[in-house]
Amino acid sequence: MEFTFSRFFKFIVALIIIIVTGWLLYQLSSIITVVIIAVLLAYILDPLTSSLESRGISRTLSTIIIFLLIGVVFLGLSGYFIPLLIDEINQIQRSIESGQSSQYFERLETFIQEKIPLISADDLDIHGRITKALAALTDSFFMVLGSVVSLVTTLVVIPFAVFFLLKDGPVMTKTLIGMVPNRYFEMALNILHKTDLQLGAYLRGQSIDAFIVGVLSITALWLLDVKYFIMIGIFAGFANLIPYVGPLVGGGAAVLVVLMNGGSGMDVMMVVGAFLLIQLIDNVIIQPLVVAKSVDMHPLVVIFAVIIGGQFFGILGMLLAVPVTGIVKVSVSELYKGIRRYNMI
Amino acid sequence: MDEDSYWTNIFKKKEKTEQDIYTVLSKIPIFRSLTNRELRAVERILHRRNYKPNETVFHENEPGMGMYIIASGKVYISAGVDNKVLAVLSNGDFFGEMALLLETPRTATAAAHEQTQLLGFFQPDLFSLLQTKPKTGNKILLHLAQMIAERLKHSTIENRHLKNKLTELETKKKPVKVR
Repeated sequence: MEFTFSRFFKFIVALIIIIVTGWLLYQLSSIITVVIIAVLLAYILDPLTSSLESRGISRTLSTIIIFLLIGVVFLGLSGYFIPLLIDEINQIQRSIESGQSSQYFERLETFIQEKIPLISADDLDIHGRITKALAALTDSFFMVLGSVVSLVTTLVVIPFAVFFLLKDGPVMTKTLIGMVPNRYFEMALNILHKTDLQLGAYLRGQSIDAFIVGVLSITALWLLDVKYFIMIGIFAGFANLIPYVGPLVGGGAAVLVVLMNGGSGMDVMMVVGAFLLIQLIDNVIIQPLVVAKSVDMHPLVVIFAVIIGGQFFGILGMLLAVPVTGIVKVSVSELYKGIRRYNMI
Repeated sequence: MDEDSYWTNIFKKKEKTEQDIYTVLSKIPIFRSLTNRELRAVERILHRRNYKPNETVFHENEPGMGMYIIASGKVYISAGVDNKVLAVLSNGDFFGEMALLLETPRTATAAAHEQTQLLGFFQPDLFSLLQTKPKTGNKILLHLAQMIAERLKHSTIENRHLKNKLTELETKKKPVKVR
């Protein structure tokens, strides 16, 4: 192969395309978040649509039924939970603003200073830090949602996208596959099928797992009479999507709330015990049953994925980082295996 | 004609002209006894692929995912290092159906002889059909099983026949050795 002008030209064009694509991806990152969420939701709901379809209902009608069901459940839950949730958020805000919680932090600070004399009071300022962190947390959460034109648009676009992905998903995949050249057609079909099988199992498993852990946490915190039990429970469920760090953060949030409300050491022990028990149930019973082992990821990979996700998309990015990494891992490994099987490398 | 008996057994060749796609499908053994509505559902999930003359459909030893039905044109089935032609298939014929059940390497190479249109029916399609339209999927599965059982019966008979021949030859050979 000799160096010619046309090869150089092709190289430059390819380079420009890569740079432009990268720039576009970066600019469209908020839309990409919406697309990722929509695809994940569609993936999770797909078996429901298929099972309705198997009862002789058309795919369109199945999708509509599922949407109606979700709508009813959502409205019912929000009728009960949203006022409670808003109440909880208001309470948290009030307790931070009124300085009610600061008393406890002062106690905690003096306790730490007694034990570790090297640390000065200025270095600690736990209350200030936590208030700042909480503010940053809510900011970043709303920034992610807010940057997608607006929250309302997101709430309209996601269900809209999920609806059509569910209804026309099989046709879309068939059309995409139809564009693959004959030589690579069967290989593409094979890789897509394998990836689909693994990903479906993985994503559904993860969401069921998060749901169960959320429900267990809410129940446990409610039994222990912890304030804001719904919010912490939901948070713990979502946090459970992030391996290793998630359960710690979820439990940590609960302990923090107990401490902020002047709970005793016994209360903290009970909450910690409850979270340990939930983790035990999760690891011994739920995970082996519902979570696909095929998408095992190395702890280091998980941690870095979470950090990178947080860097680019904030809290939402941290939550989505693990499933997205799972998708990338499965796709790449299946692509590699497929290419090997078809003797292309 | 110098064609492998295995392949001629499977593909009973009939002279066919351009036919309506449903007529083609309804004559395929695994789609036999499907209602018109079910056939339409099957037709919707089939992959239509167009091949130029001499273009390869699949290579021997490549992993197979499913079967192809010839809608129009001709396909050569060949195997071995010398690419010996085992069969020439034309519209209405099908090949590669074993891969629907078992993801094993293809036992032969298939290539288009002329401008050819194939209808692909693959494992994922069969699985999704079993999930979304279990009745149709089960009919196809049953016919597939019957077809394989039929072929197994043929092989068993042929196997027995060959074994008999072998023992016959061995008994004939023994006296020669004694002398």
